[in-house]
Amino acid sequence: MNESIKAKNLTAQLQYRAAGNPPSTHPNSAISNAFPGLEMDFRNVWRRILEGIQLHEATNFVMTVDDAADPELRILETGWRLISVVDSEVMGDVTGPLIAGGPSVILPDTTFGDTKMPLEWSNALAEVLHNHAGQKVRCKFQSVTDASKVLEFDLRIRHFFEHVVSRGENVKQAVISKELAPPGELTQSLCSPWQSDYRECACFYWAATRPDYVNVEPGPNGTSIGQNWMQKDRNPNGPKVYLPDDWMDPGLVDYRDLYRDWEKSLRFVVEGVDEKPPEK
Amino acid sequence: MLVQIQSAGDPKPKVVARSDTNIHLFETEFGTHLLLVNGSRVYGLPDGIAEELRNAGTNASQILERYGLSAPPYVDHEVLKDPPVRAISLAIAQICNLGCVYCYAQQGTFGGEPKSMDRETALSAVDWLLADARSGDRVQVTFLGGEPLTNRALLREATEYAARQACLRDVGIGFSITTNGTLLDKSDGEFFERHGFSVTISVDGVGKIHDQLRPFQDGRGSYDRMISRVKPLLERQQRMQVSARVTVTPQNLGLRNTLEALLELGFHSVGFSPTLSSPDSAGEMSSAALEIMLGEMITCGRTFEEHVEAGHRYSFLNLSNALREIHKGTHRPYPCGAGAGYFGVSAGGGIYACHRFVDDATGEMGSLVAGLDQAKRNLWLAERHVQFQEPCNGCWARYLCGGGCHHEVLRRGRPACDYIRGWLDYCLQAYVRLLEKCPSFFATGSRN
Repeated sequence: MNESIKAKNLTAQLQYRAAGNPPSTHPNSAISNAFPGLEMDFRNVWRRILEGIQLHEATNFVMTVDDAADPELRILETGWRLISVVDSEVMGDVTGPLIAGGPSVILPDTTFGDTKMPLEWSNALAEVLHNHAGQKVRCKFQSVTDASKVLEFDLRIRHFFEHVVSRGENVKQAVISKELAPPGELTQSLCSPWQSDYRECACFYWAATRPDYVNVEPGPNGTSIGQNWMQKDRNPNGPKVYLPDDWMDPGLVDYRDLYRDWEKSLRFVVEGVDEKPPEK
Repeated sequence: MLVQIQSAGDPKPKVVARSDTNIHLFETEFGTHLLLVNGSRVYGLPDGIAEELRNAGTNASQILERYGLSAPPYVDHEVLKDPPVRAISLAIAQICNLGCVYCYAQQGTFGGEPKSMDRETALSAVDWLLADARSGDRVQVTFLGGEPLTNRALLREATEYAARQACLRDVGIGFSITTNGTLLDKSDGEFFERHGFSVTISVDGVGKIHDQLRPFQDGRGSYDRMISRVKPLLERQQRMQVSARVTVTPQNLGLRNTLEALLELGFHSVGFSPTLSSPDSAGEMSSAALEIMLGEMITCGRTFEEHVEAGHRYSFLNLSNALREIHKGTHRPYPCGAGAGYFGVSAGGGIYACHRFVDDATGEMGSLVAGLDQAKRNLWLAERHVQFQEPCNGCWARYLCGGGCHHEVLRRGRPACDYIRGWLDYCLQAYVRLLEKCPSFFATGSRN
């Protein structure tokens, strides 16, 4: 975008692309997987929604307290989680089957033994933000080591969007507030498509643009034999034993292998067959 | 190709290259601006880029690409299918005590026998509206006619029933009525206030002008009666809002005077709408009349701008609505919700694309007894999409206008396109001016 072109209305502002950025940096032309995200991690906009503290983007832990914050808030750095804002709980029951085809039950949180789990911030805070942005609101925090301990503070909810002040009125812009996302923060905590996510996200996920079942040959009686693409030993000419996925199995590539040595752990798969292993 | 065009805000015709129909350039005292039709995006342009686009002929896309302004289509060819019903109007009385010359409803009867809606039909229409509404949704019930106040008792019963049923379902509900005002009494004001009605009074001018266009059926003028009945409502507007809707014909083109007079009387807002189609062509606007109307609308608009800059409220509805839509970048594939989220219900319980199509086979879409005819409705939505309308799909204003009122287009075609483009061109200029001089006008009141 040429600097001297001025985006006037909200749709024009939303379509803004910074000088020098390629088209893929714009959400509508990017892959835009936002959990955690390839181009930006949208969850990060919620970390600073309450003035003075920083929350974890994916759960309700208080991660840190801002240097300029009221010293009374400092205690929140010692293991506390946000449980409600203006009487609106940010945790809730999550229901679903425990086994395939089983009945829907309230699922336990295995970390805390609690039945309630933190809600995703956009859902948990949308109404509070809509009604109270810019205002101080009562926030309740619970100790992560002793659920009976609860602290309450009045914290200001930051505005989500940048505002221009005109005649005492806040005129909302289409830009996410700098207070919520200082430069660089929206691109923190991105997914790692060539490392952990390459293993984590299996069938049909974009990063898994390779067959999960490789070096396949027709077997007897209409069956097939082949190898798991994550097996360390995938010699196309070797014995075909399929190892089921298990991250504890040393016979399979693990996260560390991918981070440290992905070039050796992975090979091109051509027409379903692993490329010849590199010469040792 | 060079063509002569005239910008609505600028009396002098200019000779420019025929522009790409995906862009619209317009001039203001703050420089040349660009409306990108895709997404209704508004940009201020430096002179060099404005010149490039002006000379681009029909090939603006490469220039847009170069300056990072291209984007995937905001509106594609996909048509709406089975959208939820969120608003209905009830033709609660297909009968009227006035005899307005241009009335699309032919004095309320829609060309048939005068009739009033019965209780069962009104309540089952409300049930139909609420059937698929979920907690947190918002719906709208509008009372129309004919003159809806000729069936006052049922209007009130249906309102109270709808409010109760909506409350039980945790559904938000709004009420509105369009009336000629002559039958209003004190208790109506109390009732409308209690239920937060948006009350629209049909007023075509002050005194004799109104009398001429909106006489009683025996020919007597209705202005004095109307205004004496409306004034008590104007004085007690709290939850209720009382607005004036002016139907413009070649006989009442002095819009600025009408606007000033009606705002002075205390109407919450005033809007104008040209008569583009009437059953026997009476009152229809010619091209020449539309040109005069455009000039008057711009005069009203300039007055509006002066008031806004001075910090005064001046509710000229056509412009205030247009400015808010332009600010949001509204890009619509349809002109309104007719046949989509909105339907008109006739006194006999028929379901129609909107209140104008009551008892008209063109917009018939089922009945309360037989249910909504989804096939007819989806065919309507497929055919009425602006991308499939000629010549709309080659017009820069297509996503701001949406193709024009279905009823008027199907009856008379599109005689007002130049007027609409001229008006929107002015609205775009006014938007840029107010955004520069008085951005507070665009404060939404929402906190986040």
